[in-house]
Amino acid sequence: MVLTAIQSTLRSSTTYQQLSDRVRYARQDLSGAVPSIPGLPYLYISPFFILFGIFLMFPAAYTFYLSFFDYVGVSNNILLSIQMGPVVISIPEIANLEFVGLNHYERLIFRDSLFHRSLFNTSFIFLVQVPTMVILGLATALVLDAKFIRAKGLFRTLIALPVATGLVAYSTIFLLLFNGEVGLVNYVLEQVGVGAIPWLGDGFWARITLVIAVTWRWLGYNMIILLAGLQTIPEPLYEAAEIDGANRWQKFRYVTLPQLRPVLLFVIVSSTIGTFQIFAEPYVITGGGPSNATITIVQYIYNQAFLQLNLGYASAVSVILVVLVSIMSIIQIRYGSEE
Amino acid sequence: MHTQDKQEALWKFGSYIFLLVVTALVLIPLYWMLVAATIPQSEFFSWPPQLIPGTYFLENFAALQENVDFVRSIGNSIFIAVTYTILSLILCSMAGFAFAKYEFRFKEPLFYFILATLVLPIQLLIIPLFLLMVQIGWTNSYLAVILPWAANPLGIFLMRQNMKAIPDSLLESARMDGATEFQLYYKIALPTMLPSLAALAIILFLNQWQAFLYPLVILQDPQMFTIPLALADLVGQQRVAFDQIMVGTSLAVLPIFIVFLTLQQYFIKGILSGSVKQ
Repeated sequence: MVLTAIQSTLRSSTTYQQLSDRVRYARQDLSGAVPSIPGLPYLYISPFFILFGIFLMFPAAYTFYLSFFDYVGVSNNILLSIQMGPVVISIPEIANLEFVGLNHYERLIFRDSLFHRSLFNTSFIFLVQVPTMVILGLATALVLDAKFIRAKGLFRTLIALPVATGLVAYSTIFLLLFNGEVGLVNYVLEQVGVGAIPWLGDGFWARITLVIAVTWRWLGYNMIILLAGLQTIPEPLYEAAEIDGANRWQKFRYVTLPQLRPVLLFVIVSSTIGTFQIFAEPYVITGGGPSNATITIVQYIYNQAFLQLNLGYASAVSVILVVLVSIMSIIQIRYGSEE
Repeated sequence: MHTQDKQEALWKFGSYIFLLVVTALVLIPLYWMLVAATIPQSEFFSWPPQLIPGTYFLENFAALQENVDFVRSIGNSIFIAVTYTILSLILCSMAGFAFAKYEFRFKEPLFYFILATLVLPIQLLIIPLFLLMVQIGWTNSYLAVILPWAANPLGIFLMRQNMKAIPDSLLESARMDGATEFQLYYKIALPTMLPSLAALAIILFLNQWQAFLYPLVILQDPQMFTIPLALADLVGQQRVAFDQIMVGTSLAVLPIFIVFLTLQQYFIKGILSGSVKQ
């Protein structure tokens, strides 16, 4: 019953029409023999894989290799040195590498307290950030998916706009808005009687500021992906549930949630990857402070690589990060695909 | 019946309130950015904060242009982002088509391998990439910024997922009518995938439009600066030109606003037009 309904909706849908039009068009237009080219798929994928190999796999493999090495002495031949605004970068020539085996990893896991600190901070941001983002994004998407809402396009665009603000602009805005003395946020809080909050001066609040900044920037993006997911749920499913007397919550719980599961999983996994790679926000808004309360893993990698020129050590941190995020993603996908 | 109507009305009212609050919270920082772009820097730290736009936009823009040749940066950004988007669309759609519609050895391992690279942090790849670009003499070139992430893991993932929705029978009948294999790709797959291509185009364009750390390392000549680099240049050691940063940001967000407002219908449809369910 439901199935036939879905099939008939499918047939009348525009995509189906377009597809069959396309067949007719193709029939008129195409002529000639069909040469079956052996290895054709490889032809299709090779341009991608050539660039992918040179510019992604080679650097990644090189990093893995470097994580087992150390410089002997400080290299004094600096290839690149940038000091621009908030950014300081120098890259020395790679020379005199000494093999140190697993030393970097041993130090990182057992002895480097600043690394542990960055791991804690990143985990804290992750634990607050991902649920906030998913719940808020889902709620916004659900409201925007409702039939009675007008001017949907405008709302969608406005909520998604922050994604377009670049790093410098976005962090400058938050730096000024959350400034303890002259920031707009504290001004409003004082006006309504809550009182000023030491946003950037206190470790806990500084981490919360980062969560707010990330949520502000990425809410629209996640909302749109969830919205796209909501629109793939076939209408007959809701109608069937209504006939069975389901209320609003039951429709959400037994139709929307299970149908949305793959998309929800995609949002959760990509938000997880995103928060574990958080760098720009702590780097520019809090500078990792106060007293390392907001230093994140990638910021630590950056400091080690570009400021202290410990390329080998930074590479080892990167490898640990990649392993960590991979494990998290696999767990989420495993757990999320069950039932 | 009456109470049900009341409940329904209350629900609608609540939904609108929620939506308006979220939108307002999202827009306040952007509105404030516009205000900041239109007042002189001297009023920047006034207390209570300025809340009404001023008339200083053109003056601030003139200062910005004189400082960093912002118009040139806009040109650089557009060229890099557009070229990158087109190249990446071609690579990802071709490879995605193969992964969705052909069988070949190592197909699954190759695909999951690409997906796994999504977890690589960009910061990690910058140093080896920079060293590579120095070796082949590509520093300060557009190409060095455009090529590396053109082979985009997320792009290939979205293309493969969506192209799975193209019915095999459609491709079969075109084959029987004498279409060459390559025609299947550009005469059938590409046109039916337009919404997905548009969606991916927006994502790719946005990524490149705001890319910062990697272009910073590669492009050191101010003539080659993209918008984010030009703006970073305004954050000086002694003085931060907030007013100019805000003008520049407002101008950088504007094209995205227009593109998004016109294309977002496609975006919603295209991002998942295929079978994410699998």
